[in-house]
Amino acid sequence: MSARELVLSFERERWRAYGDGVDIAHRHLRGLETLIEERLASEAPVDVHLKFNMAALPRWLHQYQNHYCNYTLHVPVRSGRP
Amino acid sequence: MTREQLPSTNRGWSSGMLATEDWWAVWIGLAIFAASLASLGGADLVGWMARPRPWEWTDLTRAFAWSKLFAPAGAGYASWHPLAAFAATYAIFTALFAFGARSLRLGVRRFVKGFTVLFVVTWAAWIAGNELHLTMVDAAVDGRNRYSDAALSWGLQLGEGAPYLLALIAGLAIGNFAKEFAAKHLGEAARPEWYIKTAIVFLGVNLGAQTMEASGFAGELILTGAAATFVAYLFFWPIVYTAARRMFGFKRDVAAVLASGISVCGASAAIATAGAIRAKPIIPVTVSMVVVIFAMLELIVLPGAYTAFAPDQPIVNGAALGMTVKTDGADAAAGALLDELMIARNLQLTGQQWQDGWILSASLLTKIWIDVFIGVWAFVLAIVWIRKVEKRGGAVRIGPMEIWFRFPKFVLGYFLAWGVFFAIATSWPALAPTLDAGTAVVQSPMRTMLFMLTFVAMGAMTDFSKLKGMGKIALLYGLALVVVIAPIAYAVAYLFHRGLTPPLVTP
Repeated sequence: MSARELVLSFERERWRAYGDGVDIAHRHLRGLETLIEERLASEAPVDVHLKFNMAALPRWLHQYQNHYCNYTLHVPVRSGRP
Repeated sequence: MTREQLPSTNRGWSSGMLATEDWWAVWIGLAIFAASLASLGGADLVGWMARPRPWEWTDLTRAFAWSKLFAPAGAGYASWHPLAAFAATYAIFTALFAFGARSLRLGVRRFVKGFTVLFVVTWAAWIAGNELHLTMVDAAVDGRNRYSDAALSWGLQLGEGAPYLLALIAGLAIGNFAKEFAAKHLGEAARPEWYIKTAIVFLGVNLGAQTMEASGFAGELILTGAAATFVAYLFFWPIVYTAARRMFGFKRDVAAVLASGISVCGASAAIATAGAIRAKPIIPVTVSMVVVIFAMLELIVLPGAYTAFAPDQPIVNGAALGMTVKTDGADAAAGALLDELMIARNLQLTGQQWQDGWILSASLLTKIWIDVFIGVWAFVLAIVWIRKVEKRGGAVRIGPMEIWFRFPKFVLGYFLAWGVFFAIATSWPALAPTLDAGTAVVQSPMRTMLFMLTFVAMGAMTDFSKLKGMGKIALLYGLALVVVIAPIAYAVAYLFHRGLTPPLVTP
């Protein structure tokens, strides 16, 4: 299984994933994940590590908590292939 | 891409060690503590710190002298002019925090300007708050009544709480009556959490000294603080979450973030929970704004109320405060204020003087345990959310490193300072008095100054008008606080600590 890494952000009311040749956005996180799956699906399953960019949160909030979320999205093989 | 927009993601265990306030509180706190340890070798590297002195205004106007207002804290620096000690205090703390600000990618010039304003306001409040008509308590201690000795015709008898109250009033005046000035000039430096976390590392040294004096008592505070964690997570959270869903009709994600913000540890918990359940960032931003304002209200009301209604239950009051007041800054500030007000009140009522710091420790240790588990709580919540709510267990995975990313790092500094102090004092008992004396400047004036700075900074960033338009969220917060959190917290604290009092000051 291969792995990719994208930076996750929230800008202008939209979730955004970028890096590694990808830059996509969607109003809902579930919708963004579907776009990522469509974009990165290949012949082998891929783990996409999403690292949240804290710069998307107002600076005054960082003093309270300096981490939002990281998670891994499992992208299955492209549909129609074994 | 500007400096502000550079990606700041947590990738490995060492992420953010030079780029977060949390870590910089540890570095600055431990650096000063390490400097104070030079006293073991006979060198005083921290005695330059200026310390306000009790003064009386008619005496000052009759014959003005700076030395009546403040003086160097260390005996080795007694020959210094008070203004030289003040300048050294300003220069060294400004340099340390500006160095940190540079690593945090803040605008250093704007930070220094803002810090300078906060520092001057802090010191003005600290000096003014040491006037005898505000502080002196009318009570005989060891056969001597200093209030009578000073021939005061009146006095508010607030003890050492007076400077804190003045700092709070000054900060709130800036935040609410000079909003544009605060936003334009103080935004970069108004970082109460950074200052209080540094002060909490200094408090670790206090805890070390307290442990040497009354190890059983200190141990009990630590253990019961851990017990309070279960109350916050297993009682408060489900009650507030259910109320948010059933009574107020909030959506699941909003209710979860609100429940954490209101019942666990404020803004920190709201952000951690929102991240764990992958809610839109606007939710924790809104909740945090409400938390910060309510924390300020709790800070204004609760220390005075507890002192008035239960003057004989110091440790109960401290622990209850730790479970009730959200955000580290407000909790520690409220604990410090309660500590001073309770000591002054008890002195008035009984003529006995409790040692300072114990009530604050009761408040802080309770809060620190709640903070420590926020990473675990968010991790569990994330797994439950993905599997049970979103039902996407096969597609989304959360790593255990999330627990570490959300762990409050200043706690490491607090316990490290405590551990080093305790280890030295127990390994080489002959050195204990030198250690205590050498670190006294860190334990008292330095720690107090950072608390004062926190009061001013918190006030400066609290704009009560922001509550407008927060209708349902503010109503839920107020109801949960009055009906659920404050009463249960007090009952639990009473169960564990009733009748406990701090050791008395020995002549």
